[in-house]
Amino acid sequence: MSTDLPQAPPDPTGRPPETLSEQSALGRHASRVQRAGSSLPFDDPRHLQAHHWLVDEAWLLDAQAYEDWLELITEDVHYLMPVRVTTALGAGYDTARGMAHFDEDKYSLSRRVARFLTEHAWTEDPPSRLRHHLTNVRTFVADTEDHLVVESATLLFRSRGDVREGSFVSAGREDLLRLVDGRWKLARRVISVDDSVMRMQNLAIFL
Amino acid sequence: MTDQTGVLADVRRGMIPAHIYNDREVFELEKERVFSRAWVFVGHESEIAQPGDYVVRRVLEDSFIVTRDEQGEIRAHFNMCLHRGMQVCRAEVGNASHFRCPYHGWSYRNDGRIVGLPFHKDAYGGEEGFARKGQRLLPAPKLATYNGMIFVSLDPDAPPLEDFLGDFRFYLDYYTKQSASGIELRGPQRWRVKANWKIGAENFAGDMYHTPQTHTSVVEIGLFREPKAEKRKDGATYWAGAGGGTTYKLPEGDLDERLRYVGYPQEMVDRMKEQLSAEQLQVIGEDGFMISAASIYPNLSFVHNWPRVGESEDVLPFISIRQWQPISEDETEVLSWFAVDAEAPEEFKALSYKAYLMCFGSTGMFEQDDVENWVSLTNTAAGSMARRLLLNSRMGLLQDDQPVSPALGPDAFHGPGEARTGYSEHNQRALLTRWADDLDRPPVRAATLEVGGPGSGAVDTAGRPSAGADDTVLPAGEAVAQA
Repeated sequence: MSTDLPQAPPDPTGRPPETLSEQSALGRHASRVQRAGSSLPFDDPRHLQAHHWLVDEAWLLDAQAYEDWLELITEDVHYLMPVRVTTALGAGYDTARGMAHFDEDKYSLSRRVARFLTEHAWTEDPPSRLRHHLTNVRTFVADTEDHLVVESATLLFRSRGDVREGSFVSAGREDLLRLVDGRWKLARRVISVDDSVMRMQNLAIFL
Repeated sequence: MTDQTGVLADVRRGMIPAHIYNDREVFELEKERVFSRAWVFVGHESEIAQPGDYVVRRVLEDSFIVTRDEQGEIRAHFNMCLHRGMQVCRAEVGNASHFRCPYHGWSYRNDGRIVGLPFHKDAYGGEEGFARKGQRLLPAPKLATYNGMIFVSLDPDAPPLEDFLGDFRFYLDYYTKQSASGIELRGPQRWRVKANWKIGAENFAGDMYHTPQTHTSVVEIGLFREPKAEKRKDGATYWAGAGGGTTYKLPEGDLDERLRYVGYPQEMVDRMKEQLSAEQLQVIGEDGFMISAASIYPNLSFVHNWPRVGESEDVLPFISIRQWQPISEDETEVLSWFAVDAEAPEEFKALSYKAYLMCFGSTGMFEQDDVENWVSLTNTAAGSMARRLLLNSRMGLLQDDQPVSPALGPDAFHGPGEARTGYSEHNQRALLTRWADDLDRPPVRAATLEVGGPGSGAVDTAGRPSAGADDTVLPAGEAVAQA
C-alpha cells in the first residue's frame, strides 16, 4: 500500500482531536485553527468580506461553475458532511461514528468536479436547477489573523425534469476561511445537515 | 385484487411486464408474500459491539430494536409498547440498559423483559390481575446471524438462515470474513430515492452490461481502471442459493499477486489465505475472478471495487453492504454501509473508507448515475403504456431457452452454483423467479400474542380464533424462543 494518507500538520494546541473534522480518519491533514471569541458586528469589514465570499460562492454552486469553485479552495481543504443520526437527549452525539456523506480532500473534490465536466455524468444531464439560499451568517475571528471562521445556514432547492417534485437539503455550515495571496479561500467546511435520511436521490451537488 | 398469474408467468420466461416496477397492487402482494417470510438484514454485530448497544431498523413498516443485552446476546424486539402500542425507542442508535415508554412509563430491559409498570397494584391489582412476570416486547419471530450479519424473518416457520442463504454463503464470506475477526460495519448513510426497490437488487445481482455505459465517466476521470466494456464481459456471473453476483476477470498472476492487484496489502492477503477455503481461494488464484457486486434475495446487496484514491496509480479496495428498503411501489430508502475487515491496518481502513465515499453511497460517483437511471425507469413504468410492454430480460438465452454461453465447468470456476462469463441476465431472472415463486404462495398466517389476556382468546362468530390467530396463540407471559 504505497498510497499514503497526508500527514497531520504540527498541532499548535497539542490537544487531542475534539472537533468532527479532527476526529475523522480523513481529517488528519486538516487545519486545526478555531474561532476565538464572539461573533463580529455586522458592519465589521471582516464580516462583510466573509459574507461577500459566501454569496459569491453560492452563485458559483448554483451555476455549477465547479472549476471556478475549486479555485476558491485551499490545497489542504477538509470538506466534511457527517451523517446525522437521531439519538436520545443526552447521548452526547448526533452524528454517525466513522461515517459521512462527504469526507473530502482536494483530490476527491477535484475528481468529483472533473466527472461533472465529462459528457457522461448522466445524473446531471440534463442539469438540475439549483438555488442555494444563504442566511444566518456569523463571522468570528480565529486563532490566527489570516483566518476567519464563518457560520451560515444554507437551503438548497434542486429541481430536475418536469415530473418529479423538487427536493431540499437544509444544513448549517462552519467554514474556515484563509487569506492566501490576498484572496480568501476555503480551508475547512463542516456541513451539519438537518436530515438523518436524505430526501434527495443523490448528493451530486455541493453545499 | 387483480389476478397476477399472467404477470408471474411472463416474469418466469424472462419477459418482464414493465409495470411491476411501479404498481401498487404488486407492492401490496410483495408486502404480504415477500417481506412476510424472507430473511431480512437488520444490522451487523459490530454495530452493537457492547452490552446495551442498540440500533433501530425496519422490515417494511415494522420497527425493531436490535440490541445486545447485558449477557451479550443479540436480540430484536418489535418496537411497540405492550400497553398502548407506543413506539418504545425513538432514537435510531445508542446504548441503554432499559427502554422506557414515554406514554405511561412502562419500561423494559434491553433483553425485552418488562421491569417497570407504574401503579401495577393500584391499576391492575398486581400480578394476579396482570402478570408482569415473563412479559416482554414482542420478539422478531426469527433471528439468526451469519458472519455477524443479523437477519430476522417475520415467518416463525422460516427455514434456518443458513438453509435460506444456501450456497451463497460461499460468496458472502469474501465480503464479510477476510480475517477471523470479520468486518466492522460503519454507517449507514440513508436516503430516499423515487425508484422501485427491485431495480437495485437486480442491478447488483448481475448487471455487468450497464457498467461500461452508465459508469463511463468514472473511467474518464481516472478513478477506475476496470469498467471498460471488453474487460467487464470477461468476468463471470454466478447464482448460488439465495443470491448471485458479478466478478471481474483478473490479469495473469498467482493468488497473492491477484489480491495485491486489487490493492490488498500482503498482511491482509495472508489472513485471507488462512481464513478462506481452498475453493474460495481457487476462484481468485486459479480461475482469476474477483467478486464485485452481488445481491441476496430479496433486498440486500454488496459491492467490492478497487478505485484510485489519490494521485498515485495505486488502487484500493472497498466493500459496501446496502439494503433497498421499500417505502412504496415507487420509493425506496437506501441504507448504505461501509464494511472493512476488522484486522485491517488503520491506514487501509481510512483509505478504503475514502474509496467507498468516492464510489458508492449518497455521494458516490458510481451510485449517482445508477440512481438517476432507476428513478427515471420507475417514473416511466407508472402509466398505461408500460402495461403494454413486456421488457426483454432474456439476455444470455436463445429463443429455444438454450444458453448463449455454457455454464463454466468445475475446473474453470471453483465456486458453487452456476457461473458463466459474458453479458447475460441469468441472475436477474433467477432473482425475479424467486420473487414470482413467493408472490404465488399464499400469505403467511401469523399468530397473535395476547398481552396478559384473561385466559382463552376471543373467537369470531364461526368459533375460530380472532384476528387471524390459529391454534398457535402464544400464551401470555411465556417467553418466545428465538432462533
